[in-house]
Amino acid sequence: MKKTLLAPLIPFVLLTLIAEFLVRAGFVRAYLVPAPSAVLRAMIDSHAELLQALFATSVGSLAGFVMSALTGIAIAVLLSSSRGVQRAFYPYAIFFQTVPLIAVAPLLVIWFGFGIQTVIASAFVASVFPVIANTLSGILSTDPPLRDLFKLYGASPLVTLFKLRLPAALPQVFTGLRVSAGLAVIGAIVGEFIAGGGLGSVVETARTQQRIDKVFAAVLLASVLGLALFGLINLLSHLTLRRWHASEQ
Amino acid sequence: MTSSSSAGVEVQLQGVRRVFDNNRVVIAGMDLGVDAGEFLAVLGPSGCGKSTLLRMIARLSEPDSGQIRIEPNGERFETAFVFQDAHLLPWRNVLANAALPLELMGVAKPQRNEKARAVLDQVGLLDALDRYPAELSGGMRMRVSLARALVTEPRLLLLDEPFAALDEITRFHLDVQLRELWQRRGMTVIFVTHSVSEAAFLANRAVVLARHGGAIKLDRRLELPPVRDIELRGDPRLGQEMRLLLGAIEG
Amino acid sequence: MLLHRVQRRAFLKTAPALALLAACSKSTTLKLALNWKPEPEFGGFYAATFSKHGLAVDILPGGSGTPTVQMIGAGSVDFGIVSADEIILARSHGNDVVALFAVFQDSPTGIMAHASRNLTSIGDVLMDGTLALESGLPFARLLKRKFGFSHVKIVPSPGGDITSFLHDEKFAQQCYLTSEPIAARRKGASVKVFAVSEIGYDPYTTVLAVSGESLRKNPDRAKATVAAVREGWQSYLADPKAVNQQMHQLNPTMDLDTFAEVAEVQKPFIETEATRRNGLGTMSRERWEALIAQFKELGDISQTIPAEECFRLL
Repeated sequence: MKKTLLAPLIPFVLLTLIAEFLVRAGFVRAYLVPAPSAVLRAMIDSHAELLQALFATSVGSLAGFVMSALTGIAIAVLLSSSRGVQRAFYPYAIFFQTVPLIAVAPLLVIWFGFGIQTVIASAFVASVFPVIANTLSGILSTDPPLRDLFKLYGASPLVTLFKLRLPAALPQVFTGLRVSAGLAVIGAIVGEFIAGGGLGSVVETARTQQRIDKVFAAVLLASVLGLALFGLINLLSHLTLRRWHASEQ
Repeated sequence: MTSSSSAGVEVQLQGVRRVFDNNRVVIAGMDLGVDAGEFLAVLGPSGCGKSTLLRMIARLSEPDSGQIRIEPNGERFETAFVFQDAHLLPWRNVLANAALPLELMGVAKPQRNEKARAVLDQVGLLDALDRYPAELSGGMRMRVSLARALVTEPRLLLLDEPFAALDEITRFHLDVQLRELWQRRGMTVIFVTHSVSEAAFLANRAVVLARHGGAIKLDRRLELPPVRDIELRGDPRLGQEMRLLLGAIEG
Repeated sequence: MLLHRVQRRAFLKTAPALALLAACSKSTTLKLALNWKPEPEFGGFYAATFSKHGLAVDILPGGSGTPTVQMIGAGSVDFGIVSADEIILARSHGNDVVALFAVFQDSPTGIMAHASRNLTSIGDVLMDGTLALESGLPFARLLKRKFGFSHVKIVPSPGGDITSFLHDEKFAQQCYLTSEPIAARRKGASVKVFAVSEIGYDPYTTVLAVSGESLRKNPDRAKATVAAVREGWQSYLADPKAVNQQMHQLNPTMDLDTFAEVAEVQKPFIETEATRRNGLGTMSRERWEALIAQFKELGDISQTIPAEECFRLL
């Protein structure tokens, strides 16, 4: 356990020290890349503002992510019902993946207004597709012999869905959720660029003030948020799949 | 002690024909009769259609022409199927897995768990009820799969190379166990296998299919004692039957 | 990988060329980066005949958030368009950027509101409704200081887009007086504008700037560039038609009629008493000093910087 926590810290510490040296020695200009110590100072000086922004972005991305999870799984279940339904509607699901979020965000503001509702919508758009794709894949790839088994004992398609196909799809659902978590944070921040609030607006304001140290501080916090969400999903996955999936042990 | 509910059914195939999508004729007009309570082994090279045959008998797929009759025609749940791999539900423990068929049939929890416990006892897994499939060995998983098949007290038991993925010792033990279970319950068993020695050891009748089209090359009542145990492995009569079967496959 | 995307996006917004990779172009084609799409505010640059002064110049259009002041500092472009307040901030951070030619003598930044609200001064806008601002900008913070934001909802500036404005009567937004109000009037809205200079904040805008290092190494080249730019502006102010056509090809989102109207409306910002005396693009030390003092008061810079280092008249 100690090893898994310690190992990634070593490159981080090394990189930080190297970056600090490069900026102090003048190899890298401080207004282009801030020294880690400057970023730390910005974090301490603006900690109230940054914490409040972090909270706002957390709420936005978490809400958007939960929506993605529930909606994505529901859509995947609907798509799995028939080949025809899949062929007709799956391309539209792909649309969520391919549409450039930064182009859609201004539209979201027009529809939902300025406020956290748009941030949530943006987080949702950014993160729903991986849930749909992975859940659908999981549902459709159920072991044929197990499907035969259920058929043999007269189980209806609905019973088969809830007692076999959905539970069997859980590992893939979690894979989708893992990818989706990080995307929800990105989506929330893009939404904040346009609709205001949270870490997105801290980045935007700091940028116009040429406070690159503050920009880095905000971005770092956003990364930590993404990591935390990712870790949460991993924990949930471990707890749920612990006893039955070989990869979890 | 055989209970009447576990007595076997008679299976009749007439003119059964099955063609796959690519126009490959897998089974071309097969006639086959299986007596009630018979232990039939079906042998043949890979791709000869033995698995397809089994699935049609289980009503998991339909023949393109011809008919398959099961007498007496009871509820469909009287058929059980054991696959090549155990195929247990990894998110359920051993007890819940064994009880699954009854659960799907709508039997209440206390009753189905009681029956599941009884079959698991018969396959020697009574102290593993709380374990999960990931914690079990291959042989133990297969035994759970067997228990699951037997929990509905089926009158027709179909097995598709169930022990092929296991090591030889485990395989021997499971062969003996299966044979005992059959003797106790008296259901009709159709056992598809690659292994000539296994077919000879287990069955009282063996059928060898041709490489293509499912034609029956050999249909033989094995001349072996009714009790099959470890001793039989060294008995020359077993070797004789094996030679006959092998000859039919290769010839 | 996904987590780094956020970092990278913001990084690219503020430091487009990693200092380590910054390479001054060794070729003779100079790069001039605009901080917005080709519009009448840049007419003189497109009108300039650089070849006459022995120069080859590539004008690079920009957009929302183009970090021209950092691009100059990083050396990825030779010249860039910035505003005086950006120069002051940059210099206070150690980015040696120098102003050469100020197109807009007075800041065209302002706030646009719906006429139906019957507002009389810039402070009124902050009494009610929604106001879209780039809250990091100095004038925004000056507004906050002077009037407070407790009665108005502040949202991010839509960067030239007037859709939200048109849909909501109580929506006001930061704008260029020469740009968004015209577009809004064309869409049928009746607008009232307030110049930010009303609160005494008036930085030079659309300023041609260069890095101090480049200026020291190539003073003649800078001089020739400024001469060409000055001539270009003279030509454009006299007759903008041909260059408007050229810019419209590059930026079809603005129609030719609007180009003509904006070119006309912007003239009083460009041609003033000062430019009639000292030539187009002129700048004075007093104006720079006043701006620097405002920044010091706002707390955006910790120490006063010498005004004479911020600009050079060539």
